[in-house]
Amino acid sequence: MEKKITRKEAILLVATQLFSIQGYRTTSMGEIAKAAGVADGTIFYHFKTKEELFLAVLEHFKEEIISEFSIIEENDTYKSGLEKIEALLSFYIYLANRLEDRFLLLHRHFPYTLAEDNPACWNHLEEIYNTLIGVFEQAILQGQADGSIDELPARKMAMIIFTLVDGMVRLNTYNIYHTGPLYNELITSCHRMLKK
Amino acid sequence: MSCITIFSGDFCHGSSVVKEVLDRTGYKLITDNTLINEACKLSGMNPAKIESVFSAKTSIFNKFTHEKEHATAYLRLAMANMLSEHKQLFSGYMGHLVPRDISHILNVCLVADIDYRLKVANEEQGLETKEAAKMINQLDSERARWVHSLHNEEDPWSPSLYDMVIPMNKTTVKEAAVLIVEYLSKDILKPTESCQRRVADFLLSAQVEVSLAREGHSVQVMANQGNILLTINKHVLMLSRLKEELQAITTQIPGVQSVECRIGKGFHKSDIYRKFDFDIPSKVLLVDDEREFVHTLSERLALRDMGSAVAEDGESALKLIAEDQPEVIVLDLKMPGIDGIEVLRRVKASHPEVEVIVLTGHGSEADRKTCMDLGAMAYMHKPVDIDKLSRILEEANRKVHEAKQQ
Repeated sequence: MEKKITRKEAILLVATQLFSIQGYRTTSMGEIAKAAGVADGTIFYHFKTKEELFLAVLEHFKEEIISEFSIIEENDTYKSGLEKIEALLSFYIYLANRLEDRFLLLHRHFPYTLAEDNPACWNHLEEIYNTLIGVFEQAILQGQADGSIDELPARKMAMIIFTLVDGMVRLNTYNIYHTGPLYNELITSCHRMLKK
Repeated sequence: MSCITIFSGDFCHGSSVVKEVLDRTGYKLITDNTLINEACKLSGMNPAKIESVFSAKTSIFNKFTHEKEHATAYLRLAMANMLSEHKQLFSGYMGHLVPRDISHILNVCLVADIDYRLKVANEEQGLETKEAAKMINQLDSERARWVHSLHNEEDPWSPSLYDMVIPMNKTTVKEAAVLIVEYLSKDILKPTESCQRRVADFLLSAQVEVSLAREGHSVQVMANQGNILLTINKHVLMLSRLKEELQAITTQIPGVQSVECRIGKGFHKSDIYRKFDFDIPSKVLLVDDEREFVHTLSERLALRDMGSAVAEDGESALKLIAEDQPEVIVLDLKMPGIDGIEVLRRVKASHPEVEVIVLTGHGSEADRKTCMDLGAMAYMHKPVDIDKLSRILEEANRKVHEAKQQ
């Protein structure tokens, strides 16, 4: 099937992959233009600097994450909060697989150093983590209301659950080990940790 | 005694051929649904999830990490179980699950050219050409995706995948059935001891695949007289740990003599540039406030494989140019608001590499001079000769691409 995308989208897509695989510093605007098949002028027309392009990549990822997780919320057919946690864990792994390059970007050091003196970058990252951890927190609160989850500090537990699943994703993005074989144990561990 | 698999393009009279062959041979019909039901029984998964393996659509409900690999493994196991019986006709996607080296199974493919299929679509379902073409396109791409996922072959109708490919636009249903039945009596299709062994190996490899999939592993499995060869295709750092785990699971399966792990071709990182296989369409922007004219022009260009976008006034043209830089612009001069000359001036200032062809109804000689001075590539009068415009567009495209290459 023919994929029709705009030049701007092509630039974003290529930039995401090159930034995440090669890193930010080692990737030049010229390289991105070449890989995207556009003229150097085109890339500077859309993005004045490399930093601006990087921020656009991050912003795009943020919007993607928010909309992906809203789909899960809209299709909420889970019997209990605990069951929803399980669904979220598997959805997280699925998403990290599908958006592998973007999650790899999140696992790189660069965005966090940039955030220290760039408020826009700070905001994007903050919103990304608010979303990723927030979905788990909401499900824990829901589980506590319906009696499936123990009375634990919801926000802190959400961060611990998130760290577990994100750490597993890191095993995968850095090609340390496959996530598949660990999946069942992850679900069981989280279940044990939270159940009433 | 042999088995037959029939993989037919849609609207190629596949089901009629299947029926005719069944009548002549007395074979038992097995469809994809039968197989799906068997796979459900074996796995406890629900039919919709298993069926989704055949479809290109990924639903958000298919969110569990290894569901697809899981379902495929169970389908293969169900298929391997069925091969213990003879005189069966497997119709549909499932035939592709059978390894090609099981020689007593006759693999048949039915195809036809597009004209024939459009005609059949109209006769069978009363579909209009446009609608039918769209449907055939979509169904074909699902079939292609399925075949590609199993055989790594781009062309689902490739003769290398079958014992016989029958062109239905040149063959009647009866003739096709006769051809298939005749082929059945060939010596090559007589079950031998070696192909019985291959069937047993296929069953064993399917069992291994299912056991591994249950534990979340997705590796390629091959069996040769009880000796299992596992191919790891995804790169990992802790490789020895992975190999140990795979071996521990596999050796427990009855019938397994030995297990060997090897690294697949895709194991080491491929060139990252290869990922960018999208195609930015060569873009033509048509700018004209005469709505009907401009949309007709766009359609006529589409018939010549030239994709074009349309803007109906200068302002939206400039917006489109900024957001999604076209390569060539066909521009009318007289428009309300920002007129053509102003659009030309601004485009050439901000995007000098874009080629602009002016197409006007009432332009004067002075207009022509202004346009050419501003950098227009050509200046044409309406009504336009579509052949002439196409030629100029091709020339513009060539210029743009040459400029890019420098």
